[in-house]
Amino acid sequence: MEKELRDQAAKLLEEGTVDYIVGFASGTLKHTTTPLITGDKDETSSLVINPFISNNLATYALEISGRLGIVAKGCDSRSIVSLIQDKQITRQDIVILGIPCSGLIDLKKVEKLAGKERDEIDEVVVVADKVVITVGSEKQEVPAAAVLFDHCIGCELQIPQEYDFLIQGPAVEIRNSEASREKIKELKQMSPDQRWSYWKQQFNRCIRCYACRQVCPACFCERCFVEESQPRWVSPVSQWQDNLIFQAIRAIHVAGRCTDCGECERVCPVDIPLRSLSKEMYDLVGEMFNYKSGMNAGAPPLMTAYELTEVESLIR
Amino acid sequence: MKPKKEDQPRIVGFLCKWCSYAGADLAGTSRKKYPSNLTVLKVPCSGRIDPLFVLKGLRLGFDGVLVSGCHPGDCHYQTGNYRARRRIAVTKKFLEYLGIPEQRVQASWVSASEGTKFAQVVEDVVENVRAIGPSNLFNDEGK
Repeated sequence: MEKELRDQAAKLLEEGTVDYIVGFASGTLKHTTTPLITGDKDETSSLVINPFISNNLATYALEISGRLGIVAKGCDSRSIVSLIQDKQITRQDIVILGIPCSGLIDLKKVEKLAGKERDEIDEVVVVADKVVITVGSEKQEVPAAAVLFDHCIGCELQIPQEYDFLIQGPAVEIRNSEASREKIKELKQMSPDQRWSYWKQQFNRCIRCYACRQVCPACFCERCFVEESQPRWVSPVSQWQDNLIFQAIRAIHVAGRCTDCGECERVCPVDIPLRSLSKEMYDLVGEMFNYKSGMNAGAPPLMTAYELTEVESLIR
Repeated sequence: MKPKKEDQPRIVGFLCKWCSYAGADLAGTSRKKYPSNLTVLKVPCSGRIDPLFVLKGLRLGFDGVLVSGCHPGDCHYQTGNYRARRRIAVTKKFLEYLGIPEQRVQASWVSASEGTKFAQVVEDVVENVRAIGPSNLFNDEGK
């Protein structure tokens, strides 16, 4: 799979079809990858495909000018399509190198299961629907669903729909949408007061680093409302009230753009379960408007379209 | 300044200038009685209402928010209220999920000729919000 990708990437650069390739290379820490952005065809030999390629590279489509070749998992390809729908990028400027995906491994879950730190874990390998964790001479086999990211368990598109080249490889079916909504279901069983105090507590920890916003391909406003000063909608100081408003509004603003790639939650340095917000929004628009973001490049964006009669029951 | 007891609950209303605002005017000129708990803000179209306005209202201490625009099909700008409708729908549902009682965020369609309906809507909203008590959503105590 990797070789095919590297060859294809090198070829694209050589032919001049693209100016840059955006993909993944091994990270400096164990079991991590880092985005690789290169215009040099020799560097494409460091492209990797493994279960740790968690970044959603669609974000870079907004930041880099020129024609891009982007390595895209299913969720990334949906983000790219969503950006095309919103006319933030043009399809002609993007070459999508689709890769099949069997889910990404959440290292935090592995660490917890194995009871070891990142550096002590020697190998984490996916074998069909199992994951083998090697620590020294010990091998532990666990079901893949136990160590995959929650959003991967609920994945709806393991093989990109929109692509220019599709790298051949396995995509083991892991879908269990119920399991990926575990946390949300727990929240929904609470009373509104309990839910509110839950979020209060969570956002007390928020340090307003905006990592969630920066990593999100759906958050493409040039000027975010949190930075507006006249009027000043929310305080730039980290207080739970404003943190909560920031995140709630962010979730509403990206409604219909969020593809449940789970990046916001992954990058959160204080582990706020942000996906419990974004996934709920994702499901809400699915339920109310039968809309799946990033599935159809020709469809109008959710919030610019309408039906003559819909959701009237919510309005007097 | 602490609001007086009879002013409770305090509601902020975002009214479209082409219909609901005119509806409120009509209610006034035709001497309809409705509770004075509503603080009216005029917006050029219900499509102008960012969900942010709703949360900001609650953050500022209002007990409820009313969003009101033209009936579907009557938008001065053709499609503003259709878009507003989707936005209001996701906002309402999502805020409910966060733990904000649904009564605190309400929406209505009121045309310029519906002074009576406007008075009724305000009365209902105030009653609804009063029933669930003052909002202490963004208060710090009891954290």
